[in-house]
Amino acid sequence: MGKRADPYSDAYPEVSLAPAERLQFMNRYVVHRADTCISCGMCESLCPYGVHKRVEGHAKILPPDDRKCIGPSCEVNYFFCVANCPTKSLSVRESDNYSSMGDPRWPVEMIMATWRQAETGKPIPLDDPGNVGRSGGGFDKLYFKLPEAKGRFDPEKTATSIPLNRRGSGTRIEIPIPVYGGGMSFGSISVHTMTARAKAAKMWNTFICTGEGGYPDALIPYQDHVITQIATGLFGVREQTIQRSRILEFKYAQGAKPGLGGHLLGDKNTPDVARMREAVPYTSLFSPFPFHSVYSVEDHKKHLDWAAAINPKALLSVKVSTPNDVEMVSVGSYYAGAHIVHLDGGYGGTGAAPEIAKKNIAMPIEYAIPKVHKFLINEGIRDQVTLVASGGLRTAMDVAKAITLGADCAVIGTADLVAVGCVRCGNCESGRGCPRGIATTDPDLQAITDSSWGAKRIYNMYSSWRLQWCELLHRFGMSDISELRGRYDLLAHGDNPTREVGK
Amino acid sequence: MVQVRYERYHIPIETVPSMAPPVPKFVITRASNCVNCGKCEKACIYGVHKRKESDPREMADPLSHLCKNCFRCISDCPQRALTMSLGSDFKALGRGIWTPLRISTIWGEAETGKIPVLGAGYRGMFAGPDYDGMWTDMSEIVRPTRDGIHGRETISTSTDIGRRPLWLDFDGDGKLSTELPPVIELSIPMIFDSTRLDAAGTNSLMGYAMAAKTLDTLMMVPMDRITRELMETAPAQIVPVLPEGTDPRSVELDTRTRMVELRVGSSWKMVAKAIMKRFPDKVLSLRVQASRGIEGTVLEMLEADVPVIHVEYDEDGREHGRGETRHAKDSLRAVHTAMTAKGLRDKATIIAGGGIAAAEHVPKTIVCGADAVTLETALMVALSCRYCPSCTPSSCPASIDKATQEWVQGRVTNMVGAWRDQMLEMLGAMGIREVRRLRGEVGRAIFYDDIQKELLSTIAGGAIRG
Repeated sequence: MGKRADPYSDAYPEVSLAPAERLQFMNRYVVHRADTCISCGMCESLCPYGVHKRVEGHAKILPPDDRKCIGPSCEVNYFFCVANCPTKSLSVRESDNYSSMGDPRWPVEMIMATWRQAETGKPIPLDDPGNVGRSGGGFDKLYFKLPEAKGRFDPEKTATSIPLNRRGSGTRIEIPIPVYGGGMSFGSISVHTMTARAKAAKMWNTFICTGEGGYPDALIPYQDHVITQIATGLFGVREQTIQRSRILEFKYAQGAKPGLGGHLLGDKNTPDVARMREAVPYTSLFSPFPFHSVYSVEDHKKHLDWAAAINPKALLSVKVSTPNDVEMVSVGSYYAGAHIVHLDGGYGGTGAAPEIAKKNIAMPIEYAIPKVHKFLINEGIRDQVTLVASGGLRTAMDVAKAITLGADCAVIGTADLVAVGCVRCGNCESGRGCPRGIATTDPDLQAITDSSWGAKRIYNMYSSWRLQWCELLHRFGMSDISELRGRYDLLAHGDNPTREVGK
Repeated sequence: MVQVRYERYHIPIETVPSMAPPVPKFVITRASNCVNCGKCEKACIYGVHKRKESDPREMADPLSHLCKNCFRCISDCPQRALTMSLGSDFKALGRGIWTPLRISTIWGEAETGKIPVLGAGYRGMFAGPDYDGMWTDMSEIVRPTRDGIHGRETISTSTDIGRRPLWLDFDGDGKLSTELPPVIELSIPMIFDSTRLDAAGTNSLMGYAMAAKTLDTLMMVPMDRITRELMETAPAQIVPVLPEGTDPRSVELDTRTRMVELRVGSSWKMVAKAIMKRFPDKVLSLRVQASRGIEGTVLEMLEADVPVIHVEYDEDGREHGRGETRHAKDSLRAVHTAMTAKGLRDKATIIAGGGIAAAEHVPKTIVCGADAVTLETALMVALSCRYCPSCTPSSCPASIDKATQEWVQGRVTNMVGAWRDQMLEMLGAMGIREVRRLRGEVGRAIFYDDIQKELLSTIAGGAIRG
């Protein structure tokens, strides 16, 4: 790969702050003030972070604002309030709120780091604990053997763009960052959330995907950045929706529920959703598996030909899950005419799926990528295929690791939702849906998410990610992200070396 | 006689609420600086926060068991008076392979009979020991339809218990001359084993037997715990379990008994032979504790024409004994491979017991080589049992001894119904239409150790087990 400057760097909008009062609730530590406090105000005068505040005229000092506290490690500082309190009334400990959030795949540090990036657009260090999960395997056990940092890097001289059509003919589409948005259907998420993602995709000149719930009119202004998904239920798929997209995605299976078709539980199938899906409101919608018109690789080709006949300019993507024979499926998809082979690993997101399917069916993406990458090389077609990975890629470093394992780019879903305030409580599937107004179709709840604010946050997150990729490439002396592909020698397997967090 | 079924197998599911107090996973506490503004009540869509009925000026204590971890009340509270913590009772549930998550999952299944479905992606560990280091395959495009799950076609979960002749002989007139040994067809590959449930009271045993009847499966009961009432409740389901060294001449069996089980002792060959001779119409099962070298023992039993071999693992699904014991996952694969290598796999049925703690363990055990599994502790957990380290009726937090027979029957039927439906999901994803074909299908599974070595060994440190 020749070195080239990033051709897109002029076109990026500036990052802009996108804070939210309702996401400022988390306190990592609890500062407790005992009744013995005499409200002398010593702590207020010492703490540079603003935990303690005394209002003139009040008899008592305010309760500590422990969201700003940096914790017991502050004891090395001369201003440590606990040590300096004359009546020994202060104490500090880990907070229960903090340990109640997150799970091994999305620990609280990762959620908070994603929020921080979405708010500011500023990158986090490559070895930040927010870049690794605690699931004890896969990406969480892979790390880059990073050389020492030398000098500063120039993001404008680093290319992170990826061509999506690597066949010799047809429409050329290149995206400036190696990620686009995965399919999340109308019904599983609100139209506001969809629009936020579409706006962010437009700002980054990349894509999002409709998912299988049809193409809401609200997305038409962003149609150059919206992929139409053709899934087994064919919900809301029409000739117009196929014709207006630059990329068409055939969804054979979804990683979180491979071989099981889609699930939308009745509660969330509101009249609007049902109209879009041409279904009866408040019935559970299970899309079938597999495509009933596809029982062989020849049928599969016929399918792709059919889409190409309706929209000859569109690129064709085939989204498959990760069975043992995923490499054969990938090769078959390529020979059937697909431009993009999209592997969706088992640990990916979903609006609703049987718990048993998420853990137990089909392999994690970390194995599927090298399996397919090596096979495509042996077939001699690796450079004609765009290999896209998704399903459990949460951070900039996960994307970089996926590319290093052999993918060309990544598809992101859950991280977008976390950027707009998801706390990973995992109750998207039923009832009124998401209490945080993201994955819901409830009219009151969905109003919580403003699409322009959401778009800014998603844009910011990818800005931060791009800068992290640039730093990573700089550390390895590279200037183009495609140089990472297949470089197993850059990775090691073991516990990720992460730095201590100050705050 | 082979019974011909014209009705599709169906498990009746009906909600059976728990009688034990809920064990909240998340506990919300309200500090004294609450000003009773009521913003939390508006924020919570699950009804955790309510005003006191007796005095609406004040907020009632939060109903933590309704909390679903969304943090909305915490972010909306102007006083920052609310805190969420992980419930200490929840964290203390179970031990060993019985994690709080597995126990609470079974409680939900036993209550609703439904497959647990949740939003968001997988939330647990990447892989793990034993069955957690194993994924089942799925079939992408070229495969039969999986519409069976939604009812248009069927996926069979029937399994046969008993010896099958390896070939059939016919006489000159074309008449079958092979004598067919008795075979029991069960509609599900899950058999109840009450022999390890010392704490189960009479009502529980009766409830299990009623559930076994509803579900069309068997239930193993120690000979000395079989009462007339139990026998009359489910005569075809009860499998008497004889202690080792039983005198075959002293055994009396009800005519309706279909299967009898003998614990293996030093004289098993003689006793087994005598029982098979005395009761030719009943299926004999030999129960053997799995230990290192179990595959050799199984081959010996095959030679003695034992029709059913019940391989018993410990509570965590491991082989008994000291030193390096294998988990059922590896041990059963060795048994299955040894039998297949001799060309004798179909001669006997393998039932595996011990360590079945979640729905996915059933198909995984079968993939590793068993024909059917037994459920033990799961039957207790379905009754809201917490699998406490010490267990007495008086200290039981779920008061299981007060449960009625019908309640036990409903809870267990629900759990098994949910487990069967989840097995159908896995079979459907694999494109396999009957559970008999799942047995020993290791090619349709993915094992952590193998795939880690195959694909990540080129990475420094990659071949080492994480």
